[in-house]
Amino acid sequence: MVQSLDLEVIADSDNCPVSLPVQRTKLIIDTDPGIDDAITILMAFQLPEFEVIGLTTIFGNVLTKDATRNALHLCEVAGFPDIPVAEGCPEPLKRGPPFIADFIHGSDGLGNTLPPPPKNKKIDKNACEFLVDKVSEYPGEVTILALGPLTNIALAVKKDRSFASKVKKIVILGGSFFASGNINPAAEANVYGDPEAADIVFTCGAEIVIVGLNVTTQVLMTDQDLCELRDSGGRYGRYIYNISQFYRDWHVKSDGINGIYLHDPTCFVALLKPHLFEFKKGAVRVETQGICTGHTLMDLGLKNWNSNNPWTGVRPVSVAWTVDAAAVINLIKELLKKA
Amino acid sequence: MGDIGVENKRKKIIIDTDPGIDDAMAIFLALQSPEVDVIGLTTIYGNVRTTLATTNALHLLEVAGREDIPVAEGSHTSIKEVPKLRFAAFAHGCDGLGEINIVPPKGKPIPQSASDFLIEKANEFPGEVTVVALGPLTNIAKAIESNADFPQKIRQIVILGGAFSVNGNVNPATEANIFGDPEAADIVFTCGADIIAVGINITHQVVLTDKDLEDLASSSGKYAKYVCNILKFYIDYHLEAYNIRGAYLHDPTVMFVAIDPSLMTYAEGVVRVQADGIFRGLTLFDNMKKRWGEVTEWSNKPSVKVAVSVDGDKIIHLLKERLKNS
Repeated sequence: MVQSLDLEVIADSDNCPVSLPVQRTKLIIDTDPGIDDAITILMAFQLPEFEVIGLTTIFGNVLTKDATRNALHLCEVAGFPDIPVAEGCPEPLKRGPPFIADFIHGSDGLGNTLPPPPKNKKIDKNACEFLVDKVSEYPGEVTILALGPLTNIALAVKKDRSFASKVKKIVILGGSFFASGNINPAAEANVYGDPEAADIVFTCGAEIVIVGLNVTTQVLMTDQDLCELRDSGGRYGRYIYNISQFYRDWHVKSDGINGIYLHDPTCFVALLKPHLFEFKKGAVRVETQGICTGHTLMDLGLKNWNSNNPWTGVRPVSVAWTVDAAAVINLIKELLKKA
Repeated sequence: MGDIGVENKRKKIIIDTDPGIDDAMAIFLALQSPEVDVIGLTTIYGNVRTTLATTNALHLLEVAGREDIPVAEGSHTSIKEVPKLRFAAFAHGCDGLGEINIVPPKGKPIPQSASDFLIEKANEFPGEVTVVALGPLTNIAKAIESNADFPQKIRQIVILGGAFSVNGNVNPATEANIFGDPEAADIVFTCGADIIAVGINITHQVVLTDKDLEDLASSSGKYAKYVCNILKFYIDYHLEAYNIRGAYLHDPTVMFVAIDPSLMTYAEGVVRVQADGIFRGLTLFDNMKKRWGEVTEWSNKPSVKVAVSVDGDKIIHLLKERLKNS
């Protein structure tokens, strides 16, 4: 399917319809599908505000090669089978084989629903090369939505010194700010998956938005919401209901709740409708040693430090602080129902 | 029952301290509070080096007319035997007492070390002694390491330390007392004693303003006058560091936990202290409600109580009352 510019029809001063081109935001989604990744990808594809120019894959909820398979499958489900999918790094920058959350998303990453293998294949370029090339090709235009460990983006930052200044924005699901982690009390899964990469990205100087667990754990899709989706008759409703069951069962065990946190979709809504959130700006660092490895900590700037510290001189990033959870859930449900 | 009854009801406390302007206020508060009986001071580095902490502790007891209370000098190094080089002269003055040029005290510390003194008192009065820890936790950690049942024999350890779900005050990750000896802090937080930790998330809600200072200055109470004299340096520091007109009263706030714990509310959970990397000195609390995918560094560890709310105005009011009536 050819993605052309959308035309917005407005009225001029004589009330005659006039068509103006609307620039769509070029979006690359770095992802480890993953059930909440899947929901997000399906949302992104059908929004006219965005032009998804590629998916890059990473380990996390599944191994990278399975993330690639799932990404190709999701492009098919969404009706965009020719979107380039570039495979990313199989393991974190340091630390060896990755920790895979298969007890949360299922062995196939899609709730053990075992979808058919995709027809298309990944492109030859790897994720890092794809990111660097696209950001160079369209300087100031490409937004990256990062839904997994940040290995690919850290590699791009290191490979091309102008990457950080040429990327339009990086919106990241990661970390937990002044709130508990989900791997252990200190660490959230994506940052824990590659703490060195996260620290590199958070301090690279690009325009960055981070959405952490402190916000995403306020956005809960209940069993009732899931049933509503299933019964809505929308294209994705039944699909999402099915892949979510395994994920939902984990939430009952881990947090005692009957529903699912919408981590990735919430992060996406922070890009789509930032006015539903409040953000605070500050330098963010990641711990890469000891018992709190993977912990994210921002400087709120309430004290004038009398000497330099690891936050000094680091460009402040935007960290999501509060969310209108009800509005976000409703928006996500509406988008998924009407497909 | 008369006097004997009152004496038995008073809680025996040992104050581990690095005076320190707010330490001085906390010590005077304790001496002026009928709920507690100060049976000793142990000294530690932090706001000042240990030997100066000892000098200041002896001096404060002289001002109070309580030279009967023993002072035991504590560790000069961290529990890992790293000599301490960073002191908070920028906040407390190079003499630790706002640079008021005190007359050197006549008294001397007892020959016993702080950790030995803590162990001896815990054994002498099992289940009766509360340690109020106002500085880095080296002395208490040493007591735990040299005496396996110290955690069970001590009644309670009340700690000024940590920053729970807020930025630190040494850097964004860490609060000063914990930063002073993170390994010691982790030993104490996981030792199994009855522990209450009060972090700067609480103490930053207890602010002594210029008006409060005027109120104290107008009184003829011995402690009120002394405290007004030393507070100027501390208040000037807060203006520069935090752009506030006032001072956070960390140590007096914590002393109130020993005097009347109902002035705060608490959450129970496991606290661990980060010893490595750029977040060295970070305190991390687990409320033990979530089920983790695997065993974590918070699993199977003794829990402590962490203060989560405080009536700041009430604390200021009570503190001023007690200092003015001295």
